[in-house]
Amino acid sequence: MANLAAALARRGRAVLAIDVDLEGANLHTCLGVPSPRASLADFVAHREEDLAKLVVDTPLRNLRLIAATQGHLGAAQPSHFRRERLLQAIHRFPADFVLLDLGAGTHPAVVDYFLAADEGLIVLSPEPTSLENAYSFLRAAFYRRMREALESRAVRRLIAQAMDQRNERGIRTPLDLLREIQSLDPAEGAHFVAALQQFRPKLVVNEVRTSEDIKLGFAVRSVCKKYFGIEAEYLGYVNHDEAARRSMLSRRPLVESHPAADAAVYLARIAAKLADPRRASAQPELRESRA
Amino acid sequence: MKPLGEQNHYELLEVSSEADAAEIERAYRMAQAAYATDSLAIYSLLADEDAVSLRERIELAYEVLSDSERRRAYDGSLAGESRPPPSTGLAFEPEQEGPVRSEAKPLAPIGLAAFDELEAEAGSSVYDGARLRRARMRRGLELDQLAQVTKINPTYLRFLEEERFDDLPAAVYVRGFVGAYARCCGLDLRAVVPSYMERFETGRIARKRSRQGHPF
Repeated sequence: MANLAAALARRGRAVLAIDVDLEGANLHTCLGVPSPRASLADFVAHREEDLAKLVVDTPLRNLRLIAATQGHLGAAQPSHFRRERLLQAIHRFPADFVLLDLGAGTHPAVVDYFLAADEGLIVLSPEPTSLENAYSFLRAAFYRRMREALESRAVRRLIAQAMDQRNERGIRTPLDLLREIQSLDPAEGAHFVAALQQFRPKLVVNEVRTSEDIKLGFAVRSVCKKYFGIEAEYLGYVNHDEAARRSMLSRRPLVESHPAADAAVYLARIAAKLADPRRASAQPELRESRA
Repeated sequence: MKPLGEQNHYELLEVSSEADAAEIERAYRMAQAAYATDSLAIYSLLADEDAVSLRERIELAYEVLSDSERRRAYDGSLAGESRPPPSTGLAFEPEQEGPVRSEAKPLAPIGLAAFDELEAEAGSSVYDGARLRRARMRRGLELDQLAQVTKINPTYLRFLEEERFDDLPAAVYVRGFVGAYARCCGLDLRAVVPSYMERFETGRIARKRSRQGHPF
């Protein structure tokens, strides 16, 4: 995420990176800002209402940061109302790209940030644990998105039932759910389909070591289509690279410290794809979830 | 957007109804890997029985669509269900496998062609070892597979990628290796070979000079 922000900034775009992972904040370290003087925690704790005052510079041109350090350990996640305010403020923020670094897991706050984004990135590693996390996140995001899109109480109840994987109605996949909704309420069925078509997560495969690992992105895209009925986009992959560790130790993004390293080249390509104005969905916001 | 149980053979393999033999073959191989028993891509998501039934249906789809007779009959039955028929109603003949040629042919990218445009974007004319490796990965090829096709020792192929110029044989051989490598990865020989060989020659000269300067 730090690297993607840095790679976009290197392309001359004004980038704001926001660490919304209040429980595991470390974006500032990756960007070489050891102790940011202000933090998102100030916004969450109502100490500061103006988001612009929380922005700090990074050593990189065009790249600024809202860190998430020095939070209150007891109340890390902002309330629903507070999150809404934050998202509104972000939408108004003057930048070409706003990148949110999301925490792991399926907390409603994490899912909300992901869904509010113009583009949601899911980063996978070729390991079962990563896939398991990615799919539980996708399921959570999918059902939350669908519940938001639909209004009928009966249909929302049906979705709630489907969210329990051992439901008695035998709804096994989201597409089975669609069929149930269509028979219950055709108008809501049409809303469901429209929401499905708008839900287009982006996939990045990280820690690639073999060409088999690269194919994982295509396989997951196929599974997304068959299982969820959604069109995920496979944005690219980043190889496992020892240079990445060295850059982490030097607390500089890889694309800055080792721009010729394989991983940096792959990251720059992904950034180029995201920054490409020809991409119809290219809008000034990105979110990232680590799986 | 139909539940899995209602998808037709084309939808299952994610190809258009006009897909040719090579596309169907490629799509089948991708699907076979994606939904294999030990595939990471279905881990924790598909129940075992669902995965088994999906694999069986993918096999059936491939059996039908890779057989021109059966495919024609199947297309007819789809058309009977008031589907748009495939635009080419022509007989479908899979390509005959020719005798294996000794010259290395480009290997078909396995669904990774989507990334080719990205490589082109780089716009650089320099082909170093890392770029060769990236091209190979994009083609979905492991070093061993490349070695089988090119008949070049995989260790040398690795040395090419790592630019271990001193461990490679004489330039005339290396030129041949780079050419075969590039061809297999679908790269333009005229761009790759001179660029790589220039790096190879200058790299070797530099090493030789530094050795002469430092007798130890």
